[in-house]
Amino acid sequence: MTQFETELQDAKSEIINMWELVLLQLTKAKDAMLSFDKDLAREVISKEKRVNAFELKIDRDCENIFALYCPVAIDLRFLLAVLKINNNLERIGDIAEGIARYIVESPARFNIAMLEDIELIKMFEDSISILTDTRVAFEFENTLLARTIFSRDDILDDINKRADDHISKFIRDDASVISQALYILSIIRKLERVGDQSKNIAEEIIFYVEAKVLKHQ
Amino acid sequence: MESTILKAIDFDAYFGENHAVKKVNIEIPKNNVVAVMGPSGCGKTTFLRCINRMHELIEGATTKGKMLLNNEDIYEMHPIFVRHKIGMVFQRPNPFPNLSIYDNAIAGYKLNGMKIAKADRDVIVEQSLQKAALWNEVKDSLHKKGTFLSGGQQQRLCIARAIAMEPEVLLLDEPTSALDPISTSSIEVLLQELKKNYTLIVVTHNMQQAARVSDKTAFFYLGELIEYDDTKNMFTNPQDKRTQNYITGRFS
Amino acid sequence: MKQNIKYRIGKSKFFKFMVILLAILCTVPLFVILIYILKEGITKINWHFLVNLPKPVGETGGGIANALVGSLLIVFFAALIAIPIGIMGGIYLSENRKSWLANWTRLAVDVLQGTPSIVVGIVIYFWIVKPLSTFSALSGSVALAIMMLPIVVRSTEETLKLLPDSLKEAGLALGLPYQRVILRILLPCGFSGVISGAILAVARIAGETAPLLFTAFGNPYFSTNILKPMQSLPLLIFNYATSPYDDWHNLAWGAALILLIWVLLLNIITKITTRRWKVQF
Repeated sequence: MTQFETELQDAKSEIINMWELVLLQLTKAKDAMLSFDKDLAREVISKEKRVNAFELKIDRDCENIFALYCPVAIDLRFLLAVLKINNNLERIGDIAEGIARYIVESPARFNIAMLEDIELIKMFEDSISILTDTRVAFEFENTLLARTIFSRDDILDDINKRADDHISKFIRDDASVISQALYILSIIRKLERVGDQSKNIAEEIIFYVEAKVLKHQ
Repeated sequence: MESTILKAIDFDAYFGENHAVKKVNIEIPKNNVVAVMGPSGCGKTTFLRCINRMHELIEGATTKGKMLLNNEDIYEMHPIFVRHKIGMVFQRPNPFPNLSIYDNAIAGYKLNGMKIAKADRDVIVEQSLQKAALWNEVKDSLHKKGTFLSGGQQQRLCIARAIAMEPEVLLLDEPTSALDPISTSSIEVLLQELKKNYTLIVVTHNMQQAARVSDKTAFFYLGELIEYDDTKNMFTNPQDKRTQNYITGRFS
Repeated sequence: MKQNIKYRIGKSKFFKFMVILLAILCTVPLFVILIYILKEGITKINWHFLVNLPKPVGETGGGIANALVGSLLIVFFAALIAIPIGIMGGIYLSENRKSWLANWTRLAVDVLQGTPSIVVGIVIYFWIVKPLSTFSALSGSVALAIMMLPIVVRSTEETLKLLPDSLKEAGLALGLPYQRVILRILLPCGFSGVISGAILAVARIAGETAPLLFTAFGNPYFSTNILKPMQSLPLLIFNYATSPYDDWHNLAWGAALILLIWVLLLNIITKITTRRWKVQF
């Protein structure tokens, strides 16, 4: 294997490692939310530094490969995808950290019944599952799997739309839950963005493998 | 729609029994730079030499098929006439060492015994050296022999010598592989200028050069034309796996 | 270890010494000849010597005018014959490496080069002297031309072979017909090599005696008629040096010196032309 191919492999492993870290962050944030574990939430906040460090390293590694090897065709598309996915993952990392901050700031634990009604737990689990599948699709160049992401993201969008009504109903029924409700609404918005970011990632994977641009279609 | 200046139809070339170029069909549009690339021994240089009928000068070398310049088959014309219409620049700069720079530029006419008035000769020399971006560097030493010129300047002199004959197509066989990076760069810039007036076909080993310099690229492998497309497409999304393997350097 | 190295250094120095000694040894005969002839001949050369004919036996004085002019004429015509043919032959051989004609030609040239000069002389005697029933300077020229031919052919061939193929290709790509590529590009570029080959060939045959014995034959009188016998320097030296007359010995020494100077000059001219006209790639 040439030095060039080694570097491409390394870039691939690096971004997959970052993927795993971000997935772990989201999972921890979900667990912290469910068990109202502020310590776990603080862990997520401090690990966010590592996510950022990954982003910087991957950016730099790609820049070096471009400078030294003038990649073309599939290698070029691969690296362009890696750069964009790098960005997307970092934002998802930010979202996980943001959710963790809410948990730290929230004075009272969240009402599990409310969470279930709004389908927040389902949304959380779905978004983690979608992100996991993008990682699998990337690792195995599986564009079929990548294409399933689009319809699954629609489910998250639907939950987001329905959330407004649910939250209003909760607040009307019991005004004291307002601060909790606002946190929950914010978490829903953030999770909807996780879905969007995952959709972007899926588009990049299809571009890299098939040279098809699905953006803005 | 660009007009086609050169067209090969089911073109084959042989070295005796060795089938070096296999059934090539290609259309070269006017005023384009077309790069021809491929691994060693793929037939690209052989194909190039068929275009100006230098291939047949080798003992036992034959061709089959049609090669049309402006819809006339060059294999039905006299080879000398073909070479006046299709010029060639070689890998190693080869100005005539016994002639001055002036005489080198006008060599195509002078050595062919074509009589031209002195005034016209001066014009031809100045124009070709201008077009080859060499005039300013040599205008004060036109009657010196070209041995003091650098490799890049010598190559530009060879280009001037070729274009002085006002060819329609200029063939370049790895024109910068014997030159240093700066000279290479200046020749590449020159090629972009030259395509305004001529059609250029460049054989190159250097993929990045093909990418930088050409409008269309042809990929040859084992004597066959595998892929021929706009350069941008060839390098972002080649259609054939062999092309992709070659340009990403994964050829074993 | 130290002993070993000392021994090897010593061996190396000894070898170097032997090489230099033997090289000097090679030059000794040349210098001995030069000095001896210079010594013997220098006193005999003066203007009188150069413009007068040899006197009959018994009279002192005389000169080598007829031999000088004769040599010049014979060599001139030999060159006139051999150089064009030789150059053409050299061109053919350098352009056709493998044809059967080229192989046979090369063989013939090599054999010719090794043919004893006296054999050439005898052959020309039968081919030209007998049919014309007279000795002649022309037959001498032909004999000498035959001896010059291999040198001219070979040096032309070697010179042209050294020229890079790219030169020929450049010419062909400009639409030059084949003969123009040879005559207007290759020959001019190889000019210094071809000319020096020609001059060397002349230097080589300038002093050949054996072929002239049966062809030009010699002539005690001044003559410029190439269809009749003619005197030349080597013949004069041959005849007069072995004669019993001292006067004639003197003439022979003077003639020998002239011949030597002539050959030396030709070699120097060759070196100068090669350097001045050599084309750099």
